[in-house]
Amino acid sequence: MNYGPLLFLGILFTLASSWFGLVLMPNRQLGALVANTSTNDAGAVVVYPQARSGQAQQGAELYRSLGCIYCHSQQVRPEGFGADIARGWGKRRSVSRDYIYEPTVMLGTSRTGPDLTNIGERQSSAEWHLTHLYDPRITSKGSIMPPHPFLFEKRRIGAGGASTNALKLSGAFAVAAGFEVVPRPEARQLVEYLRSLKTSFDLPEAHLPKKESGDDANAKAAK
Amino acid sequence: MPVPGLILLAGVLAVPLAALWALRWAASHGELGHGDRAALLPFDEEEPVGTATDQILNRPAKP
Amino acid sequence: MSAPAKPLSALMPGDVSDEHAKRALLAEIDASCRVPLLFFFVSALAWLLVGTALALVSSIKLHDPAFLAECPWLTFGRVRPAHLNAVIYGWASQTGIGVTLWLMCRLCRVPFVAPGLATVAALFWNLGLSVGIVGILAGDSTSIEWLELPRYATPILFFSYALIAVWGVITFRLRRERHLYVSQWYLLAALLWFPWLYATAQILLVLEPARGVVQGAVNWWFAHNVLGLWFTPIGLGAIYYFIPKVIGRPIHSYYLSVLGFWSLALFYNWNGLHHLIGGPLPAWMITVSIVASVMMLIPVITVAINHHFTMRGHFGKLKHSPTLRFVVFGAVCYTLTSLQGVANSLRGYSEIVHFTHHTVAHAHLGVYGFFTMVMFGAMYYILPRITGREWPSLGLVSLHFWACAIGLALYVGPLSIGGILQGLAMNDATKPFADVVAGTLPYLKLRTVAGLLLGLGHVAFVANLVWMLCRVFGPYRQPVVDLITGNESPAAVGK
Repeated sequence: MNYGPLLFLGILFTLASSWFGLVLMPNRQLGALVANTSTNDAGAVVVYPQARSGQAQQGAELYRSLGCIYCHSQQVRPEGFGADIARGWGKRRSVSRDYIYEPTVMLGTSRTGPDLTNIGERQSSAEWHLTHLYDPRITSKGSIMPPHPFLFEKRRIGAGGASTNALKLSGAFAVAAGFEVVPRPEARQLVEYLRSLKTSFDLPEAHLPKKESGDDANAKAAK
Repeated sequence: MPVPGLILLAGVLAVPLAALWALRWAASHGELGHGDRAALLPFDEEEPVGTATDQILNRPAKP
Repeated sequence: MSAPAKPLSALMPGDVSDEHAKRALLAEIDASCRVPLLFFFVSALAWLLVGTALALVSSIKLHDPAFLAECPWLTFGRVRPAHLNAVIYGWASQTGIGVTLWLMCRLCRVPFVAPGLATVAALFWNLGLSVGIVGILAGDSTSIEWLELPRYATPILFFSYALIAVWGVITFRLRRERHLYVSQWYLLAALLWFPWLYATAQILLVLEPARGVVQGAVNWWFAHNVLGLWFTPIGLGAIYYFIPKVIGRPIHSYYLSVLGFWSLALFYNWNGLHHLIGGPLPAWMITVSIVASVMMLIPVITVAINHHFTMRGHFGKLKHSPTLRFVVFGAVCYTLTSLQGVANSLRGYSEIVHFTHHTVAHAHLGVYGFFTMVMFGAMYYILPRITGREWPSLGLVSLHFWACAIGLALYVGPLSIGGILQGLAMNDATKPFADVVAGTLPYLKLRTVAGLLLGLGHVAFVANLVWMLCRVFGPYRQPVVDLITGNESPAAVGK
């Protein structure tokens, strides 16, 4: 290669090939996926997935801003590939359709902490989530997740008595007498987002396991 | 066969053919020649082949 | 071989045919690079120190989560991407651009054109990056891996890069050496591939996000290619220049290098989606990436053979040349990290190591062991020549090398093993997750120790450079040519 033309063509052609294959083709194949509409046993129409509500979406922005993705994935690998389903991280594998309404798809590449695909169903208690965010070691011994005290306000208990929203802290995590820890709006948004992460919906390309979707089986039998 | 499939097939065939043509063009225009001389390009008359450079560590003390 | 072989002097451009001018050409080119290159290198090293500090904070947080936990700016999920972007775009990219500009000047045989243009580019690059890193710490990270810089920072980087591209085109057009050396193929390819990658990813992920997991495909096509089509070609281009240049012997086989270049260009850019094995994407996309990852054996083994046979009989020079030490260390790490990458891309192995610290170790073997070490080597060669001053302390050079080499081994070795153990434990559903986490702690602590060693090496390097620069701006001390060439060959006597 002594002169430029062959080199330039080769350089452009090689990258164009994977741009075509790994950028354009995925867009063609997956870019037009729509939500799945089905009827549940009660006869109600179920549309899945759905766009997130306001507060949960604000929480998603916090999830992005705080970089939760660097330790938590949001993808369940298929049955028999790893132990994702055996660990209860999801009832079925994740599929492309699960993500169509995510403004930023945060699949994640690290599981320093557990997968969060289905955390809203695995742990639905807002109080647990708030306490866990304040200091993960209160609820999960040995956790190396960073505490998020900045999502909470530590304040002197007012004349009206302790807030009903105050975290119940005891032992080594208790605050000084006369003080309380209450969640800021950001903490509530983040928890709403986490509680919105639910994927236990039956999809034609990824069915829930039989015992979970007994209703579906009945519906088929009736036909 | 649907139209996108045909376009894809045509692309799959056209790309290697274009690559082969480019290779032939390159060979006939001397693009692939002079390899051994091109390997000498880092060297010049100031620092010809056989001249080691950057030998600064662990040298005996200068007389 | 269509043309008859000509003596090398016939390859020299006409306007430097005068004997005196020829002798002065290298020095003239080097001196012309001084201002823009010093700007790139010094700011790259500043980012290296910033990146190292951020890395240490993140590393400590992983085994001591209460460390600096009060401040949202310093939470792990912000410090870690700030570290990544500081070292990738601040350190590695800037030093890579610096080395690229110098190699282009030397191989095109033209003095640095428009140094003002390149200096302005460096200025804007640092401005954009500073805005971006502060943005990440303030909470504006996009959380798209390798593309975290907020959207208001990237146009500044684009502007800077456009100036560098203009510079590249001008230099290429003005070249006085028609023939292109291996290094130039790699460097030109990197200069053309990078803006394409970055623009595609920025548009499809940040400005007009694609729907659903298309983002995942674009993200990993981009992120893996930043490594494969930006850092790897620059690193390899530098190796192809510096090994022959330091030992004074042409590359073993020019034709192997042609094979190595084109197979890399063909296969590397298809690799990215092996980061999504088991993920929610159609199997064909992931499979095609696995196939391409395995095909990477061709360029990697080709390059390894070529470099090994070039070095054969000259390994003794490793004792004397800091450049050769760092560059050969980097070349060996390139082979190792590529082979590790092939293994990681296989489904059975990925099932274990995906999502673990093994990947982090692998990334450091590539970006640090290979690229950063090669860039250190290149800077050891370039800086004395553009400043006209020798490295003031050879002790600090040795300290730098050994601290980095041992630090890297201590980082990558244990963390790779720890990652495998972590993956095996995680795939055993009977093992509580807390036990999996507890099992990684010794390796995470060892990583902090390794990071401290790497930091020590960086401080030694920067101290040496600051010392050297003080001499440049201070009184004239000692001529450099006498020391730096140190040739055994009679050809250099009397320079």
